[in-house]
Amino acid sequence: MGLAVCSGCDIGNCLDAESLCSLMAGQAEGIVCMHHPALCSEEGLGKLHRMVRDKKLDRLAIGACSPRVKSSFFQMDGVLVERINLREQVTWVMEAGSEDARMCAEDYIRMGLAKLAQIASPAPYVPEKIAAEIVVLGGGVTGLTAAVQGASAGYRVHLVEKTDRLGGYANRIHKLSPVTAGHTALCEPDVASLAALAESHPLVEIHLNSTLASVSGEPGNFTVELDDGAGTVLRAGSLVVASGWKPYDPSRLQTLGYGSTGQVKTLEEFEQFAGEGKIPERVLFMLCAGSRDKDHLPYCSAYCCGAALKQALYVRESNPGSEVYIVYRDIRTTGFQEDFYRSVQSDEAIFMTRGQVESVRQSGQALEVTVLDSSLGERIRLETDMVVLATGMVPSTTTDLNLQYRLGKGLPELKYAFSDSHFICFPYETRRTGIYAAGTVRAPMDIESSREDGAGAMLKAIQCIECVSRGESVHPRTGDRSWPELYMERCTDCKRCTEECPFGSYDETEKGTPLPNPARCRRCGICVGSCPERVISFADFSIQSISAMIKAIPVPDEFAEKPRILVFVCENDAYPALDTAGMKRLKLTPYARIIPVRCLGSVNSVWIKDALAQGFDGVLLIGCMPGDDYQCHFIHGSELTEKRGENLGEALRTMMLEPERIRTRFVEITGHHEICKMINEYAEAMEALGPNPYKGM
Amino acid sequence: MLQVKPDIAFKKELGRMSGASLNQCIQCGNCAAVCSLAPPERPFPSKEMLWAGWGLKDRLLGNVDVWLCYQCGDCSRYCPRNVRPADVIAAVRQKNYLHYARPRFMGTILSRPALLPVAILIPVAVIILILSLAGTFRIPEGPVDYSKFFPHAWLNSTFSLITLVFYGMAFYGLVRFRRDMKRVIPAPGPVKRPVQMLLPVLGEIFSHSGFSNCESNRLRKYAHMLVIFGFGLLLLVTLYAIVATFTGDYPMSFRNPFKIAGNVASLMIYTGLGIMIHQRLFNRRVFGKTGYPDWLLLVSIFLLTLSGTLVEWARFGNWTIHGDNAIAYYLYFFHLVAVWFVIIFLPYTKLGHMVYRTTALLYARSTGRK
Repeated sequence: MGLAVCSGCDIGNCLDAESLCSLMAGQAEGIVCMHHPALCSEEGLGKLHRMVRDKKLDRLAIGACSPRVKSSFFQMDGVLVERINLREQVTWVMEAGSEDARMCAEDYIRMGLAKLAQIASPAPYVPEKIAAEIVVLGGGVTGLTAAVQGASAGYRVHLVEKTDRLGGYANRIHKLSPVTAGHTALCEPDVASLAALAESHPLVEIHLNSTLASVSGEPGNFTVELDDGAGTVLRAGSLVVASGWKPYDPSRLQTLGYGSTGQVKTLEEFEQFAGEGKIPERVLFMLCAGSRDKDHLPYCSAYCCGAALKQALYVRESNPGSEVYIVYRDIRTTGFQEDFYRSVQSDEAIFMTRGQVESVRQSGQALEVTVLDSSLGERIRLETDMVVLATGMVPSTTTDLNLQYRLGKGLPELKYAFSDSHFICFPYETRRTGIYAAGTVRAPMDIESSREDGAGAMLKAIQCIECVSRGESVHPRTGDRSWPELYMERCTDCKRCTEECPFGSYDETEKGTPLPNPARCRRCGICVGSCPERVISFADFSIQSISAMIKAIPVPDEFAEKPRILVFVCENDAYPALDTAGMKRLKLTPYARIIPVRCLGSVNSVWIKDALAQGFDGVLLIGCMPGDDYQCHFIHGSELTEKRGENLGEALRTMMLEPERIRTRFVEITGHHEICKMINEYAEAMEALGPNPYKGM
Repeated sequence: MLQVKPDIAFKKELGRMSGASLNQCIQCGNCAAVCSLAPPERPFPSKEMLWAGWGLKDRLLGNVDVWLCYQCGDCSRYCPRNVRPADVIAAVRQKNYLHYARPRFMGTILSRPALLPVAILIPVAVIILILSLAGTFRIPEGPVDYSKFFPHAWLNSTFSLITLVFYGMAFYGLVRFRRDMKRVIPAPGPVKRPVQMLLPVLGEIFSHSGFSNCESNRLRKYAHMLVIFGFGLLLLVTLYAIVATFTGDYPMSFRNPFKIAGNVASLMIYTGLGIMIHQRLFNRRVFGKTGYPDWLLLVSIFLLTLSGTLVEWARFGNWTIHGDNAIAYYLYFFHLVAVWFVIIFLPYTKLGHMVYRTTALLYARSTGRK
């Protein structure tokens, strides 16, 4: 085992690299040490490589900068490298040359060496047979785009469509909103040519009149059974779900006149009606009909404004004497659609008014519409021949994926029932690894965005197959080759891991024994944290490796007046925030010892007990922000920790310790000031609380 | 409830006159938010913009609020879509002049650049006719004496009569205007007699208190004051001159206090007009479009004042060209035509705002509308 300490980037001004080296060499046998004023320089790296080669080292601890920088510099084939963050977490945040900073640096080196002794290089898990084929569910614009893109990239694509025709909703479209430069003229629909492209591509296999009977297996090796009358069974490496949307049920809009007369139509109905060429002279469009309304759809469907403007042109182009009335709350036209909006506005026979339709009633041949004009606060009455309600999008259900997963047949649903999507980082990513949501099933959008979505999701599906075939994880720990291994002899079938895994990696037998599917795993380690029997571990992240780090820290006794707190920080947001704090030279208490973890949910309670038994005065857990905003990279790691904290409180009581000795906090990646404050204040609070009675026992 | 029957022709006409793209309005209400006149319960000018968008003629003609506006240009300056509500309001006023003008053709003649020659020919023909009747339609001999060219009795009687006829028709228009104002925006509560409000309204007009709220253009207040007071002073001087023709104190000497006052007044008008013209030419962001009615008014007042000054100098200086002083009489003739454009055509031009605005203010204040 080797240790290299860098004294560049101010480290040397704060710490004495030479004495750190000699101290460590003296403490453990068989440790080869070196130090250098700039380890990442050509000379430093040369010296480092020579030491590794000459001494035949297979484990190397590097005490220098954060592991989040210069990763490629310190990667060595066949050598297990542990980076010890002496720069961002000691030098840049503590008083130079102080005893406390020195003790902190020594502890971090001890922890790094202890961890190195406990971990191994992961041997990647690769499913036996990888299927480089992709199943796309849904033959609309999104699915067709995904299929054509995937096939063009050289992957066999199975396009599964439940009706007898490709094209989906787009088949009903009379004309397209402008998509060409200028964005003023309506375009001819092109879904037929897209469908023809898919049909003629040798790598696209189309399954019409088909649904999914079941999807089982794991990324790289899914088995997909079709319900197509023939019992076709496909293999797939990944799936794209593009099952689309349906219009909001207009029968719930009777107050707006729907159903009482044929002269009140929805956008979809008018699209078809316009295609048949029977457009009346005066048409009133009511935007947001049953949208952005807590009694109907609370959200904006993003496409209706553009579609209504387009249909307004159908009316105007059908008859020069025609008039269009558009009643809106806000016109929401994003991107180039704004140009279209402005061009439609230049037609003086299109009257736009901000307000809300209150009633529609028949008056002879015509309809009489009462509008509450919100600018005037006054009711106005208009006569028209037809009313078109711009109803919103409702996502299709994904339960018809028929996933054979413990966690359910469909994709998890987000707010408003749209399918799962990690909309902050990777919008196509769902909690079912290898299954990507695209198009209107995951968010309301127009045709142009659907195309992009189809292509984007297909890229993720391809990336998934490639990653799995190398035994690597997909987002967010892309490239991670470790995976959870279970020591089944000690498993008690308690089902914690199968229940808590956010990704449905674990299926289970009837008895409740977990059946792992490692390729579904995102390597968050939540199962490691969940397991009361501590039987789950990764090659480089295990109960033992973290426990060893904790036990490597010599906690000063109560008379030394040097309190110690242990801080578990999530690697996704909290750790980068600490690095930023270092770069900004903020102050961090030298009494804290920081251990990065894959996710706050991966913290096993045994580590906390270890720390308290060791004499730590408190344990602070810092994770990503939980909640609907979905900032926790592993969905509910932070929430789980809070829940588990309740059980830990019980454990504290039996140890006769104050409940404040364990705290959970959340921070955003931008919260560098907050995280320093959290840790410093917690250290002060623990100092005020007095030493942990277990100290020195 | 407002029954809306869209009138595309009227909407297009307003768009054409204002040069504003009415349909680009997104009804955000910014214009009302920045307007210092807008009453909170009925946002001005956003409601007029909405009505203009529907082409609601019967809401815009006889609309009291458009006459309360000082045309400060704040709404245009802050419009996020550059629709220029101030220009739309100006066009609505213009539509009002045309609507209430009697005879109608006079309104038409004075609103179209193409008909300007006709507008000039009318006073030219009438003056020639009067001179012919008086038998003085020729250049007189001797030193310049305008009464030899246009005898005072003829001038005073005919011009007064003609003015009365036109103003009588204007009064008829005002009566209809007042009736419409009551219909479009009815009095919300008890109404005071307009006569009671006359003094406060005149005070408001002359103090220019409303102008002080104009954020976009502070100079305008002083420019308008200079012109209106200069013009008022000149009217007094003219009235005195008419009296003087009877008392024999005419023509006045150069040192006569009235004569001095007249010259000071013309200087005031030149200064005020100079500012106005300069602003219209170089401050487009606030003024937006300067249309034919605006230029017609500015230029005719300018020419009236200028020709008046020249006529005066020609008399005192006994101007001659090659020993012939006919130039003074030509200038005098020109001056009389200019009088027509400013004074007699008042009901049909933008100067009509003097009477429409005063009437509207009286209505507004008597109904408690601020």
